[in-house]
Amino acid sequence: MSTISLHDTHNHDNHDDHGHHKETFLTKYIFSQDHKMIAKQFLITGIIMAVIAMGLSILFRIQLAWPDKNFPILETFLGEWAAGGRIKPDFYLALVTIHGTIMVFFVLTAGLSGTFSNLLIPLQLGARDMASPFLNMLSYWFFFSACVIMMSSFFIQTGPASAGWTIYPPLSALPTAIKGSGMGMTLWLISMVLFVASSLMGGINYVSTVLNMRTKGMDLWKMPLTIWAFFLTATLGILSFPVLVAGVVLLVFDRSFGTSFYLSDIVMGTQVLPNEGGSPILWQHLFWFLGHPEVYIVIMPALGISSEIISVNSRKPIFGYHAMVYSLIGITILSFIVWGHHMFITGMNPLLGGVFMITTLIIAVPSAVKTFNYLATLWRGNIRFTPAMLFAIGLVSFFISGGLTGIFLGNAALDINLHDTYFVVAHFHLVMGSAAIFGMLAGVYHWFPKMFGRMMSNKLGYLHFWLTFISAYLVFFPLHFLGLDGVPRRYYAFTEFEFMQKWLTVNVFVTWSAIMGALAQVAFLWNFFYSIFKGKRAPQNPWEANTLEWTAPVEHLHGNWPGEIPTVYRWPYDYSKPGAEEDFIPQTIPFSQTMSSNMPHDFEGNSESERIQREWEEQEAAAKKAKLD
Amino acid sequence: MVQSIKQEELGIQFKAKKFIIWLFVVSSTIMFGGWTSYYIVFSASKGKGHGIVLPELFIYSTVVLLVSSAFLFLASKAFKNGNYSSQKLFLSITILLGITFGVLQVDAWGSMVRTGAFFSNNNAAISLIYVVSGFHILHIFAGICLVFSALMGAYKEIPLQRRIYRMEIASIFWHFIDILWIYLYVFLLLNS
Ligand code: HEM
Ligand SMILES: [Cu+2]
Repeated sequence: MSTISLHDTHNHDNHDDHGHHKETFLTKYIFSQDHKMIAKQFLITGIIMAVIAMGLSILFRIQLAWPDKNFPILETFLGEWAAGGRIKPDFYLALVTIHGTIMVFFVLTAGLSGTFSNLLIPLQLGARDMASPFLNMLSYWFFFSACVIMMSSFFIQTGPASAGWTIYPPLSALPTAIKGSGMGMTLWLISMVLFVASSLMGGINYVSTVLNMRTKGMDLWKMPLTIWAFFLTATLGILSFPVLVAGVVLLVFDRSFGTSFYLSDIVMGTQVLPNEGGSPILWQHLFWFLGHPEVYIVIMPALGISSEIISVNSRKPIFGYHAMVYSLIGITILSFIVWGHHMFITGMNPLLGGVFMITTLIIAVPSAVKTFNYLATLWRGNIRFTPAMLFAIGLVSFFISGGLTGIFLGNAALDINLHDTYFVVAHFHLVMGSAAIFGMLAGVYHWFPKMFGRMMSNKLGYLHFWLTFISAYLVFFPLHFLGLDGVPRRYYAFTEFEFMQKWLTVNVFVTWSAIMGALAQVAFLWNFFYSIFKGKRAPQNPWEANTLEWTAPVEHLHGNWPGEIPTVYRWPYDYSKPGAEEDFIPQTIPFSQTMSSNMPHDFEGNSESERIQREWEEQEAAAKKAKLD
Repeated sequence: MVQSIKQEELGIQFKAKKFIIWLFVVSSTIMFGGWTSYYIVFSASKGKGHGIVLPELFIYSTVVLLVSSAFLFLASKAFKNGNYSSQKLFLSITILLGITFGVLQVDAWGSMVRTGAFFSNNNAAISLIYVVSGFHILHIFAGICLVFSALMGAYKEIPLQRRIYRMEIASIFWHFIDILWIYLYVFLLLNS
């Protein structure tokens, strides 16, 4: 009895120091400082942005497949930009630019890290909330504003930015260069500055929370791989995003204050511009110093999520836990010294190119280690094919097929031919556009019960998976062959070039596949939004998983656990442990309750525990013997 | 027992928040690192630096900033010894010196403009002097706000734990921007 009342008072205390006595609609749903609500905000915003960006891609796929057909309906929706029912070249460039920007930054950076780091870091580590809930809230609202500003560029006369998601100058530095270089580019830059601020606030918070707020017993080597991945991703962001800010600031000055950081010797029409001495290559250095780590910022959380899901649903410990962590660390470090592989053809010193080539090929090693570990975890597992599991396996598949082409591109000699062709497009859509998205979807299916307290429909999940999986391969695989044939990316009309015309039929095929893929997402959207309100109620631990989030009650409380935060005694991957009663042992179960399944290495050399275990085993053996006699 | 749990959780919360400032310091360092790397690559490839004599005012402002850091240090010491009135005095002096630093920096820009080294310039290295010193002033502004909040905490006598926290945050940040400026100044001196 006394313990109960103790917990009760503690509970109240807790509410006091969070100062959340009366929650209004505004503080609960809008300006929430609760990490679980912020996670949902990130997720839903991310999904909306993903749908928009997908829509944009269908628009330019239509142009690519039928460059000289008219679709009057396009004019109805897009007006000027599709006058006569055909998308204009300017607008085509705007479409690819905004599609790329939204997908890379808003969906796969903010949508992915923002959702799952926010949801899982406190819940899997046993913390009441983030280090700074306020900063966390601010992070979401900066992100939201960034989204709004980016989208607002569709409502101005000159249209959105059009220089590609990498916004290379001079196209991005001269407001009069093309239509999209004007106001659209300005909005892009403002939006990105807000976005980076949001990412930094989020990332700093995640790192501080992981390092300072773990519950009792949760040492670094007991953290689930999800947390390792989010932690290293956030670190990567903190170390690389500021460089993008530095670059963007200089770009803004070039655009509006007449400096020459990136500009030199430019003639516009008949007018010679006064700028001299700058170099657009310097932008590329600054951009890719962020840009390459960015691609790992996108994939690492997805890898972490699949590690967890694959282990849970194979009912097996993850294969090579330490190797997984060290690979993530290796990727984090190496990703800072490979950016040059995006710039092999900028006239870089071949020796330097050689160095970047070697570092790039080395980064394939930890990537391969992770892949083999996934396969080894699956090997002879007791697999439960939940939708989350299918998506996680899908990630592995795409990561392999996309990673292989990375190795081609990483060779400077091959890249001279392949750079800026559809081969690159195929590479990064497999590894990022498919693998990372699959990781994110896997996470949504797996943690939906934790987020909304309800289950998603499995049937729709399977339908969604198979359609998406097949169409992703149908869309992106053929693009490799275009690239090998030298077809450049970002070209408006394949009919304009002799050698590209033969690819038109392939383009039609790809576009139809893309439309199928897009329609498949309807199954997901329906499943997602319907289940939020009408899904089956979720049990507390629907997947029989070990990690801490499943020890928290289904209803969300501010502070996550009523009473004390649980203590952690073991690593998160005790699945199918020989001698155990069930095929999973949550992290909160002390070894004293699982005497029959303890292994010598569980005690990490603690001789007292080893002695107790030994005595127990002797007793047990004696008892057995007595029974036999 | 209940009290001690609460205290413990609160302590962790402060520790984590202090860590946030450190991480901010890291990312801010990297932003300036981005600019100085730009400078290095730029001057290596063009074979020229900013090529001007930096304004003398930068020497004065540097000294002012160093002294302000010293006063902040004294303020922390006074605070630890429970000498709250000198703490307040030293904090106020820090703020005043911070403002003086800002004014001197702007003056320094003025003298650069007078010698013809404009911001909008065909030598990007010169423009970069304005960029780094300008963004440094933004940091000074943020730093002044933090020192001010420590000062307000001292005046309003908010709970001790939170006063300690504010003092620590202000100190970390202020000493950081002090060192940051010295780095930038020395960098610009060496790479002319
Ligand atoms: C096995 C590891 C990988 C290697 C060796 C590799 C190598 C490369 C190389 C050399 C390029 C430059 C191609 C060119 O522009 O000519 C490239 C482009 C790209 N990679 Fe990878 N990559 C790897 C994994 C990844 C991953 C995991 C992601 C993202 C999740 C990714 C995303 C991208 C993107 C987005 C681009 C294109 C950027 C652009 O020009 O728009 N790569 N990759
Ligand atoms: Cu790269």
